[in-house]
Amino acid sequence: MSVRPLDHPPVPLRPDERALRLMAAIGLLPLLLVAAVVVVGILEPRFFGLMNLLNILRAASFLAIIAAGQMIVLISGGFDLSVGAVVALTSTVSASVMAALGAALPEAPATVIAVGLVAGLAVGAVVGLVNGACVVLLRVSPFMVTLGTMSIVGGLALLLTNGIPVYGLPEALVRDFGRALWFGVPASVFVAAAVVALVWLAQTRTVAGRHLHAIGGNPQAALVSGIATRRHLVGAYVASGLLAAVTGLVLTARVGSGQANLGGLDLTLQSIAAAVIAGTSLRGGVGRVERVAVAAVFLAIVTNAMNLLRVDSKLQLIVLGVVLVAAVAIDELAKRRQIRD
Amino acid sequence: MTETPVPSTATVASPAAMPAAGSLVRRLGLPAALVVMVAAFTVAEPRMLAGDNLLNVVVQASYLTLFALAQVVVLLTRGFDLSLGTAVSTVSVFAALLLTGSFGGAAGTLAGIVGGLALAAAIGAVNGAVVAWLRVSPFVATLGMLNVCLGLASLLSDGRPVAGLPDTFTTLFYAAAPLGIPAPVLVALGVAGLLYALLHHTVFGRSLYLVGGNPRAAEVAGVPVRAVLVGAYALCSLLAGIGALLLTARTGTGEPNLGGTLTLESIAAAVVGGASLRGGAGGVGAAVLGALFVTVLANGMNLTRVDGNVQAIVLGCVIVAAVVADRLRTGGGR
Repeated sequence: MSVRPLDHPPVPLRPDERALRLMAAIGLLPLLLVAAVVVVGILEPRFFGLMNLLNILRAASFLAIIAAGQMIVLISGGFDLSVGAVVALTSTVSASVMAALGAALPEAPATVIAVGLVAGLAVGAVVGLVNGACVVLLRVSPFMVTLGTMSIVGGLALLLTNGIPVYGLPEALVRDFGRALWFGVPASVFVAAAVVALVWLAQTRTVAGRHLHAIGGNPQAALVSGIATRRHLVGAYVASGLLAAVTGLVLTARVGSGQANLGGLDLTLQSIAAAVIAGTSLRGGVGRVERVAVAAVFLAIVTNAMNLLRVDSKLQLIVLGVVLVAAVAIDELAKRRQIRD
Repeated sequence: MTETPVPSTATVASPAAMPAAGSLVRRLGLPAALVVMVAAFTVAEPRMLAGDNLLNVVVQASYLTLFALAQVVVLLTRGFDLSLGTAVSTVSVFAALLLTGSFGGAAGTLAGIVGGLALAAAIGAVNGAVVAWLRVSPFVATLGMLNVCLGLASLLSDGRPVAGLPDTFTTLFYAAAPLGIPAPVLVALGVAGLLYALLHHTVFGRSLYLVGGNPRAAEVAGVPVRAVLVGAYALCSLLAGIGALLLTARTGTGEPNLGGTLTLESIAAAVVGGASLRGGAGGVGAAVLGALFVTVLANGMNLTRVDGNVQAIVLGCVIVAAVVADRLRTGGGR
């Protein structure tokens, strides 16, 4: 009886094979990103204007935070359609709390802001907890659960405010954070960088992060190897809810009022698009937050470039749709080539 | 002599092996809930059972039924169609442009109907091809198409409703009521009947269940899985296209934002009715019942003056409850 050797003899790669492997290794995205910047820079020099670059960074930072949360749930093999609604509810709840408390304690803006932030984060954590509990305990499809909570949470946000913006945020929050530049960069960029760094650490340096990948890749095997699948899954949804809440808080500070129409289904779909363009698998187990951040920047640049080049906003939608499908199709193709080798 | 182990068939769940009691609950659970709901709303507001309100409910439900039927076709194959809503908008605008175009008269009406349905089928075929050949997940493929159709709809119409539809069209698809039955109801019934025959008495229909239930087995059994997928998505969009024509006739204009919330409503109705996101389960009955349930719920809440935002919350709770109930009925396990 002979055992088949595990190692293949080295096979020389054809140039196109090598290119595909390289692409699969670093991802198509950085290349696309550079290409986009070069092309847009040549066509429209205003692209490199300081204000424009700051705008791109700001838009990318909002998307990167919420997409990082979406990625965590996608890695676990799930979905979170409720993130956009969480942004809306976070915005209205935290703004209402801060407006009410601010009227009572006009002398202590720091306390008011702290309580408002905690209230906002609590919203995200609770919604994430409900999502996770439904998925884990009732074993209901994540798509349907979060579709339901999306409707519930979005309805609550509108109900709370009757659709009217909530004013009366502490001046300091809007002036020193929401619309502020720290070291010449929008403050939200620092938040996004911190979130990406934290998620990266959790993914690569903690046991929980490893376990989450294992659960998404093969739930049965993860369970058999003694991983506390349920706790990790709930944790993934709570993380996604929390990061959606962070996005809601940052957006609220930027806009300067609590609004039930922040976020919404659009932002949810964008967060999924950013995660998926970054190579996160909808089948679970695969995803890297640094790529998600790059994808967020890429999407922000593409949108910004089309605005600068005066591409019809309707055509922009079509382009984004095609880019999304093409990115995933190419990714899938590269993977299949790799497997065949 | 050695015996070759025969794979046990006991572990393979088949509909016939379901316990009768479970099957009974499955069949009667939703209709019973529907009756209870109607009774409760009638107690709160007697107008619920008034003749004109009932007619209104049935007409409303027939539109949603068409979209839920469309969604069921792809749900059977473990997919879903997120582009349904914006495809409806695109078809509405495109058909309206043909209807009001230079053809005029009967030729124009025919061009609008045929052109609209052809565009619908083409949109679905593209979805199916991307899913089947490029192996892109249905979520991403139809999410991309959602964007493309959203752009197309407003590009074609310049963001404005296309007005001036010929009377023959609006009469045919909205005002006509042969035997006292409104046209939308007749169309929905006809489509439901045809789809039932297709799902249960054709090779294509049976293949849909097989592909959704166990794609690998379907492939091994010689089912042309890719062609079936393309057919499923094309059929889904075609049914949505029929619904788009009906809605266009009702509003009397081609509307670039006609689709709106239809995608999520259609998925909700199909799943509330008993279609499974895990494929292979559900059929015409699921779509019809689910659409009726969702429509009666909305109508009852409107009659009892429930706030629109509260309605959204209630619908969300119903969706979660429906999937939980489905999970409890079919037992645990993945």
